[in-house]
Amino acid sequence: MRRLVNRWLVCLFTASGLFTASSLLTASGLVAAFVPLPVAAHGERATEPYIRTRTVHWYDVTWSSGSIAANDEITVAGKFRLFSDWPDAASLPDLVFLSNGSPGAVLTRVESYISGIPARQSARGLKTGKDYTFKLVMKGRVPGKWHLHPVLNVHGAGAIVGPGAWVEVTGKQSDYKEPLTTMTGVKIDDLQTYGVARAQMWHFGYGVLALLWLLWWLRRPLIIPRWLVTQKGREDLLITSTDDKVAAALLVTVLLVVIIGYKQTVEEFPNVVPLQAGFVKVPVPPNVPEAASIEVKNAEYDVPGRSLRMDVVITNNTDRPIRVGEFMTAQLRFINKDLPAAVESIDPSFPKDLLAGAGLKVGSDSPIAPGESRSTTLDATDAAWEVERLVSFLSNVDSRVGGLVFFYNDQGERHMSEISGAVVPVFTQLGSKVSTKAPEILNARVD
Amino acid sequence: MNKNDALILQSAELSPQAAQWSRTFDYLIIVVGAFLVWSVTYISQLLLAGDWDFFIDWKDRQYWVLITPTVTIMMAAGFQAIFWKLFRLPIGATASLLLFLVGVWIVRYHSWYGMAYFPLSLVIPGTCLMSAIALDAILVLSRSWLITGMIGATLYGLLFYPSNWVAIAGYFQPVEHMGSMASVADMIGYIYPRSGTPEYIRIIERGTLRTFADHAIWVSAFFSGFVCVFSYYIFWFIGSFACNPKFVAVGTRFKSAFGGSGKPAAAGESA
Repeated sequence: MRRLVNRWLVCLFTASGLFTASSLLTASGLVAAFVPLPVAAHGERATEPYIRTRTVHWYDVTWSSGSIAANDEITVAGKFRLFSDWPDAASLPDLVFLSNGSPGAVLTRVESYISGIPARQSARGLKTGKDYTFKLVMKGRVPGKWHLHPVLNVHGAGAIVGPGAWVEVTGKQSDYKEPLTTMTGVKIDDLQTYGVARAQMWHFGYGVLALLWLLWWLRRPLIIPRWLVTQKGREDLLITSTDDKVAAALLVTVLLVVIIGYKQTVEEFPNVVPLQAGFVKVPVPPNVPEAASIEVKNAEYDVPGRSLRMDVVITNNTDRPIRVGEFMTAQLRFINKDLPAAVESIDPSFPKDLLAGAGLKVGSDSPIAPGESRSTTLDATDAAWEVERLVSFLSNVDSRVGGLVFFYNDQGERHMSEISGAVVPVFTQLGSKVSTKAPEILNARVD
Repeated sequence: MNKNDALILQSAELSPQAAQWSRTFDYLIIVVGAFLVWSVTYISQLLLAGDWDFFIDWKDRQYWVLITPTVTIMMAAGFQAIFWKLFRLPIGATASLLLFLVGVWIVRYHSWYGMAYFPLSLVIPGTCLMSAIALDAILVLSRSWLITGMIGATLYGLLFYPSNWVAIAGYFQPVEHMGSMASVADMIGYIYPRSGTPEYIRIIERGTLRTFADHAIWVSAFFSGFVCVFSYYIFWFIGSFACNPKFVAVGTRFKSAFGGSGKPAAAGESA
């Protein structure tokens, strides 16, 4: 008896627990379902680090304004490098689409270009190791403060999000209009509402016809009587000759409405075109020799110190002395603050949260002479590694790191090179290999 | 109540009071059943034909015309079978598609427009409602699922395109943008960004159906009618199967777990 009572008590508690949990879930679901809430994030930190550090590197990205009125335009422009050390886990950028990352259609697209080629459709022909320019012209639609990113969607690799800046749209949503004139001269006042009333009118008409048909049947004795009569085989009572006539009339009406409606619509819109499904081809940019080649000897990520340290050998291939000005990966910019040209390269519109506070520490920061190969250390330390959720590259199947290094010569000219290599996690100072070769860097970090 | 209704109640051998209660039961069932039919049809459509139904720039001449009727006729046929076999009610297809259309417009306003800021012009839904009415009407006239499948399902696929073209033809007027031609629908899809839906993900205008002297759309419509026949029969049988309640025998271990003796009950004794 006790076992039975215990068993029933367990069942009772389990059932009441499930009931409470499901009630809470239902309540939260109802709140979510009936109270429209704006979406602010769009997952720029959710993408795996190996995608963000080794696929598309966005640079020189600028936003023409931080605040626009509804119906005014904003331009996001810049460049991106398709990284040579593209991860095997992601498809190569054979088919891409240039887009924007923002929470829904709060900003609308006016024009978009990849290397000057209109990018309304998806693009083929892009190659890794090449640089491309991009331009996105957007228009404010919904008032609010929105995070606006450029995004390159790569078929098979997903959306690769560029740096995002806050853009405020002021005014009223009703200020936004999207007029359009077709090639046949038809003027559309506003694309947002064009054709909606027409579709609703037809759907409403169809709905009335359907409702009449349902009411024809639902007005009669329904479930139980019809089931009992069906069981007795008296179908003659359930479908009468009047029903046959109504069904025939309805069928004829449906056919007439569809045929006549279609004929009139074809006459109303004689010039129509199918959806345009082709891709555009982007020409391959010419080869540009790297100003400096970088060989990674050791790279480690100091987990407690939130620091990426790299032993590198830099070879200057130019005819002028150069210095390391910046290391950039996954939109994070580590600037060598000892180099004025590098500091000056930061556009005022660039988001501050993507500028690492401590900057880049270069072990041997004196100019590298033309033709010289210099062993040095690069130290990129910042909490942003954690904030941007980049440290999970330690748990990726392909533990490598990549990025761009910017050099400046004595005339202030900028050159860019790729850097990539395996990265090893370091959980204690004893495990460090890089720090033993550059004690001044380690000391500076510890201090 | 007309004469025929009285005959139905008389044949059902329901007393006036029972008939009154059965009518109350009807109203309850209509409300509950409507939500059931609505949700099942909606989920089926979302899973199998989502993007083609969601966006105006997915409504192409090939896949939209083929896939949407093929998918919507599934639940239409299933519910038609249930309503017809159990109650001789030829309303399954119409109810399924009407409730779906009502639901889809609610979602368009609430979620797509209200939560994601998409303009309604981007998310105009298609509908197979006229096809569904024709399917139910043919079932009444033929009294046969076989004939309804052959004629009605073919008509179901064929009627989809013209009955929707009247609503959306304006979206396929040509416009020029950045030096190339596009349809108004392409432009709406381009202007109002879907961050997670790149343009190349559209499955539109692929294959070689367009080689039929530029009449791709009617080839698709006929092919859609052909596929609808099979889709109809499969889901009619699934619906028919659902009309036959089956009971799974419960073992003694299960009975004893809930306080029973686990032994077969003797006459006049509760297990």
